[in-house]
Amino acid sequence: MKLHLLPFVLIGIAAAANAQPGTPAATVIAVPPLTSPDGGTRGNQMLAVGWDATQLIVADLRQTAEVMPLTPKRDDYYSYPEVTAPSFQKWRSAGAKALVTGFVQSRSDGRLTVGCYVYDVDKGRELARKGFVIGPNDWRRAAHKCSGLAYTAITGAPGMFDTQIAYVAESGIGDGRMRRVALMDSDGYNHHYITAGDAMVLTPRLSPKASQLAYVSFAGDRPSVRVMDLSSSQERPLLPVDAITFAPRYSPDGSRIVFSMLNGANTDIYVVGAAGGLPQRLTTSPGIDTDPSFSPDGSRIVFESDRSGSQQLYVMNADGTGQRRISFGGGWYAAPQWSPDGQWIAYTRRGSDGRRIGILKTDGTAEKLLTTGPTDEGPSWAASSREILFQRVGPTGRSGLYRVGLDASEPRQMTIPQDGSDPDWSGVRD
Amino acid sequence: MRKLVLLICAACLASAASAQLPGLRRYTPADRRQEQQPVLQGIDALRADFAAQAGGTTVYFGSESTILAPQARMMLATQAAWLRRHPEVVVRIEGYGDSGDTRDHALAVGAQRAEEARDYLMLLGIPSAQLSITSWGKERPGLGRAVTILVR
Repeated sequence: MKLHLLPFVLIGIAAAANAQPGTPAATVIAVPPLTSPDGGTRGNQMLAVGWDATQLIVADLRQTAEVMPLTPKRDDYYSYPEVTAPSFQKWRSAGAKALVTGFVQSRSDGRLTVGCYVYDVDKGRELARKGFVIGPNDWRRAAHKCSGLAYTAITGAPGMFDTQIAYVAESGIGDGRMRRVALMDSDGYNHHYITAGDAMVLTPRLSPKASQLAYVSFAGDRPSVRVMDLSSSQERPLLPVDAITFAPRYSPDGSRIVFSMLNGANTDIYVVGAAGGLPQRLTTSPGIDTDPSFSPDGSRIVFESDRSGSQQLYVMNADGTGQRRISFGGGWYAAPQWSPDGQWIAYTRRGSDGRRIGILKTDGTAEKLLTTGPTDEGPSWAASSREILFQRVGPTGRSGLYRVGLDASEPRQMTIPQDGSDPDWSGVRD
Repeated sequence: MRKLVLLICAACLASAASAQLPGLRRYTPADRRQEQQPVLQGIDALRADFAAQAGGTTVYFGSESTILAPQARMMLATQAAWLRRHPEVVVRIEGYGDSGDTRDHALAVGAQRAEEARDYLMLLGIPSAQLSITSWGKERPGLGRAVTILVR
């Protein structure tokens, strides 16, 4: 399923409005109900879709630390011409700094056109606009895209609303515990299972646009990476050979997969085309090199190695040259992931206080622990680079998915049907 | 020690008997009255014999360690002696990581433990064709270990 952008998208402008990233005060945004140019019964139907979309936009933006939406009121409906020529005085007096307007229009082919506009209220000028042609049941994705447009216009960071989360859903106990790869929209909707549960699975990793999935399967009682096309559900082993492979991750353009392979008693990092080909070995040091993750420009890879005697973080060029250690803070560092904005590396730190999630700059400075542990692991960045999803085993021994901001505020648990582990948050979808 | 070995054997026989494979039947109270042992055939009989003769199927590692301790080497030596008498048998050595570890490192540690056990068996003359390895990482509870499983 793809959203079709309208031609007028091309004039969309994203500009930083009032809020500076990092300032504590959230930008207040007004989100009055989306309108419709349609009349009659059809118009009422479109207004109903518009109202649902409005509430979803508000819910999306309310989750963020940077943007605070006003509660939408049905009385605030405006006419279709006002979408592109809104009056700002009302929103100024309500304290809003930004405004979202938009419309839902029915098309003769049964699909819908959704338009979305973001304004700077103080200056009274447009910041961004986007339009989508969608199937009648895809209004949620259009609303998420609109939320993302507003979030990006205000913060400068990509909106992470039209993204997906893959994780391992767990049920049952002991060795018979069933584990399936599950996939859902990042707001928890559209939850479904990708694998049948006949073989244990670990570490699902979505391609950047969430069209492909790489994961570890224990089919045949041996861990090995498999890759799946999510639209066709066709899958195949990553390598045509019978080898122990694990810890896969896609390159930022989705064309390559880095992973670990067992080589004698040695675990090294390899890279291979996502569509196949000959794997290329990137590390050769004795010991365990694993959990590789590309920088967003694809030129470098951060990984974990115990070559010094304990697990530490290393950065190398994407061809394996120039390997150097970046973590020196004491304790053991594992499972790194490069942030989408390139600024940070998230990791799991093991110490006497258990496992905690932290971040550091790519040169190893500015280290900061974000969670208190003691059983946290597997950090995965939001597309915005402002939040991290991770796995935590709670006091009752049940494993869940949690989100934490870079301000190290109290993590929030995501609602999922069963226990969950190994979360992976995709980039923004097309 | 002898008591422990006996207990392990008893456990092996019991679990093997409960598997409903062709030629096997469940151990019933009637069997107990007749003081008969269930008849083990094929791989189950071999597994029971291996566990009894080798003194166990499992070697343990220290926390965070992939080094074979002297006790582990002794266990593998008795396993090797049995495997030399049964060259037709293929085994899989299953390595386990430590529960406090991170997921992928634990997987690699488990694989390394299995590999160390395999290397030692090969050093003792067992051909590599008879040996394969896998790792369960930290996905199954218990101490860090490598378990030799007869597969065929």
